[in-house]
Order: sequence, then structure tokens, then C-alpha cells
Amino acid sequence: MKFLQDFFDKLKPFVEKGGKYEKYHTLYEGHRTIVFAPDLTTGKKGSQVKDAVDLKRMMFTVIIAMIPCLLFGMWNVGHQHFLATGVEAELIDKILIGALKVVPIIIVSYAVGLGVEFVFCVIRQHPVSEGFLVTGLLIPLVMPATIPLWQVALATVFAVVIGKEAFGGTGMNILNVALVARAFLYFAYPTAISGEVWTYLGDAAPVAAYSGATPLAIAASTVGNPGATPVVDLLNDSWSAGIYDFWNMFLGIMPGSIGETSTLMCLIGAAILVLTGVGSWKIIVAVFAGAYSMGLIFNLVGLNEFMLMPAQYHWVIGGLAFGAVFMATDPVTASQTETGKWIYGFLIGLLTVLIRVFNPAYPEGIMLAILLMNVFAPLIDYYVVQANKKRRLQRATV
Amino acid sequence: MEALNIFIKSAFIDNMIFAYFLGMCSFLAVSKKVSTAIGLGAAVIFVLGITVPINWVMQTFILNEGALSWLGASFETIDLSFLTFIMFIAIIAAIVQLVEMIIEKASPALYGSLGIFLPLIAVNCAILGASLFMIQRDYTIVEATAYGLGSGVGWMLAIVALAAVREKLKYSHVPDGLKGLGLTMLITGLMGIAFKSFIGIAI
Repeated sequence: MKFLQDFFDKLKPFVEKGGKYEKYHTLYEGHRTIVFAPDLTTGKKGSQVKDAVDLKRMMFTVIIAMIPCLLFGMWNVGHQHFLATGVEAELIDKILIGALKVVPIIIVSYAVGLGVEFVFCVIRQHPVSEGFLVTGLLIPLVMPATIPLWQVALATVFAVVIGKEAFGGTGMNILNVALVARAFLYFAYPTAISGEVWTYLGDAAPVAAYSGATPLAIAASTVGNPGATPVVDLLNDSWSAGIYDFWNMFLGIMPGSIGETSTLMCLIGAAILVLTGVGSWKIIVAVFAGAYSMGLIFNLVGLNEFMLMPAQYHWVIGGLAFGAVFMATDPVTASQTETGKWIYGFLIGLLTVLIRVFNPAYPEGIMLAILLMNVFAPLIDYYVVQANKKRRLQRATV
Repeated sequence: MEALNIFIKSAFIDNMIFAYFLGMCSFLAVSKKVSTAIGLGAAVIFVLGITVPINWVMQTFILNEGALSWLGASFETIDLSFLTFIMFIAIIAAIVQLVEMIIEKASPALYGSLGIFLPLIAVNCAILGASLFMIQRDYTIVEATAYGLGSGVGWMLAIVALAAVREKLKYSHVPDGLKGLGLTMLITGLMGIAFKSFIGIAI
């Protein structure tokens, strides 16, 4: 560590006030705090900061929580590749193929995003925002493995500039930055991110019975089709035996975005976030509860086979778990008040199932449900605060 | 049941702001505070809920070709539909005048904060737009009322959400060039993306 310390100490005079590269002070600080705790101490008066857990440490906790999803996602990309092409393969081959597809997406997302971030913080003289560390990993995890790299770059630039920097940088955005990137691609280049793009095939030809349809697409195909087979039967009767079995989907061994398939890995991530106090358990629980209750309501209504699908299936198909754990809990865009968090999470779950079942245009609802509730989160907070004020005023005696 | 469907559809799916971009001027200008936005939103719901059915009656019994036949057989060939725009505007302006007087009497504070935008509801394109869409789609009077109220609710939802977002953004360090309207335009665009979740839902 000594040489790092020396390196930063040597650079320091150049970037301090009056130094030759004064402009790049924020860049210097940004890199220095990755390896060392900031050397700032709080003054003798006023509030005292004793904990070294600053924004950067918090962001790293989130990244650690995402690593199970990432590793599993890499393996799964390889696994789906060999499954679809009908080749027997070893564990290491699967991981290699997965890494070959996933790592470039991560590199592009980080390089482009941090590049934009650095340009902005030099021009606007604000400290380097640690926020992108998380966003930069979230973006690859919500993309299909087959996404063209230039689209990742374009979406990242759009999300960072329009979704975040225009609002004044980290902590000021109103919509989740990674979801803005995905929504941008979804509406601008729909062919690369919808339909049967979820399995990486490469040059190899798929096996005869292969179908790239995700569980959501299979379930949605029963809508408007009276006399269709029940969704669960359709899922059990898929092209590869047992791939859409409930517990198999819970483990996440199925096609989907890189990081979103495994509910189990998302729950491990959730445990890390909740235990370290970074993510709000209220939101996570509320999203799952909202989705389940909407699923139950639909079971009662039962107009088509998708509505009749057992409610717990909504938990494991699509990206509900990933969205609930890593996207909905984003402290910047979620509701800030405690009561608000319950309402916010519950409505996300509810809307997700509503969009899945009712909107034929979008088989997956979690992305748009979270974006929509991001828009309404400040309003929820406003009313929670107003109600609180009213209650306390009633208690007051003159 | 049909009326309920139209109500939900016009509030969320065919939202005046995010699906048709109507009524943008007051949407952008009066969205600085939640309380004011609620006031204006309520006024717009009221005006829409009254003018759309009244315009429906006007259209069906006076303006359409042959609509005047209730006056006598000699009126059957008269077609006054070229007067549609001017009649609708006149009715809307009259109703807005009424709303203005009511608000001034009932809540002087709201009247002050709405300022010029209260009389400007008269030329809010969302309101004329709702009346014109109503004709195009051949609604019955019940459906027309539901449509007017639904459009108003959708518009209010949009402006109140935007106001809450803008209240939160007061503390942000926004680039100078984007302060005010520039950023509001961007937010509207992003809100439009979020509202796309409803567009395409078939009820």
C-alpha cells in the first residue's frame, strides 16, 4: 500500500488549489477514495461524522450483493447456450462462454458511463459520483446476453446524461438510471431486446425442438385465446424437459436477461442489502406482497388462462425479484418516508402483474412499473408528510 | 360498464398529456407547487366534466346535419357543423368564467396563485381536444361525460405528479442552462416513458 500512498501524495500538489491541474481535483479525489478513506475530518463544532461508511462504501456493498446474480448469470448464459445447441459441456466451458458474452458488456457499460461521468465532473466541478459504480453493473445485468455492444454504449450515455447529470448528478435523479437505459433501448431498438433474444446461440444451430420463448411469453400467449391449455401445463410441457418447472425457475436456470433469472440469487443479494442496512426490506417485501395479491385477485377474476396462473409463479418468472431487490430499493428514486415505502413497493408489485397480464405490448411489467412508481414516489411522500402533519397538529394543544 | 372502461382508458391509457401532448402550456407553467397543481387540476376536471356533455348536447341537437329536425320538417337539411369550433369555444369560455367566479369567491388564495392560468383554461387545448375527440368517437351522452371526467383526472394526475417531482428538485444542483422549463421538458419526456406502461393495454 506504501507505493499507492506515495503515488497519490506525489500527485497531490498538482491538483490542489493553485496547482497546475487544479481543474482535475475532483478526478483525483474520486480515484484516491477508492483505495483510501477520505482524509477529511469533521470540524470541532457542528455535526460529527465518525463512520467511514460513505456513499462509496455503500455502493460497494450493493455491488457485492449483486455478485451472486452476476456469477450465476454468466454460468446461466453458457448453460443456456449449450442446452439450446444440444452440446454436452463441462462447468468451466459454460462459465467461459458466459464470461465471453457478459464481460464485454460490463466493460463497455463501465468505460462509457465513467467516461461521461468524469467529463461532467471536470466541467461542473462536482465530486466524482460513486453512483455509477452500481448503475454500471446494473445495466449489463438487465440486458440480454446477445445485445450489441454499441447499443449498450448508447443507452448508457443516454441514461447518464439525460437520466442523471441533467438533474445535477448522483442523488438527484428522479428515475432509476439503469432502468432509463433499458427503457431507452426497449423503445428505440425493440428488436434487440424483445422477442426471442434471450439465449445466446452464436453460430451453432439450435436443437430441433428449441424455442427461445421465455415463461412470460408463453404465459402471455394464452391471453385472448379461449380454450388455451393452463399456463402451468404449457410451462411444464416446454421444449426442454423441466426447464420451466417452478423450482427450476426459482433457481433461475432458464433464458432471460443476464442477471435477472435467478430468484434465489436475488434473495441472497436481498439478504446482504438488508443485513447491512443499505436496502429497505419494506420495499422488497411490499413488492412481493403486491405481486402476490394482484395474482390472487386475478385468480378470482379468472377471465383467461394467464389470470388463472398460480400467483406464486409471478415471483419466479421474469425479472420481478431482481427489480424488487436492486431497482425498487434504489434510495434516490424510491419513496423516502417509511409509510411511503410500503405504498410504493406494493404498487410496484401490483402494477407489474397488471401490465404482464393486461398489456400485450410488454410481456415484462417490472421495468415500466418501477419507472412509473419512480414518477409518483415524490407525490406519495408529499401525502405521507401532509397526513403526518395533520395528525400531529390535531394532537397539539394551544 | 362501457362508460367505466372509457373513464379508465381516458385517464391512464389515452392520457391527455402523455398520449396526445394536449394542455402542455399550463402543465409546464403551473406545476411548481403541489397545492396549486391540485387546484388547477380540480378546475380542469370540473370544466371538462361540464363542457363535454354540454357540447355533446349542442352537437347532437343543433350542429349536426339534420340535428335541427326537432324544430320542424323544414329544418332537416340544415347542416351547422361548420360552427362546431366557435360554438365549443364559446361554451368552454362561458364555463371557465363561471369556474373563475366560483374560485374567487370560495378560495381567494387559490385564485391568487393560479393567476392568469385560470382564465387561460378557456384556451387549454386539452379541453377543446376532449370535446372534439368525443365527436369523432361517436360517444353517447353518458360515455361523453365519463370521457370528460376521465380526461380531467388523467390530466390532474400528470400535473400533480410533475409538481411533486419539481418540489423535490428544488434542492438539486441543476446545470444553469437547464434550470426551470428546460429540465421540466426533460422530466415530462421521462414521465412519458414511464407512462408508456399503460399505452397498449386493451380493455
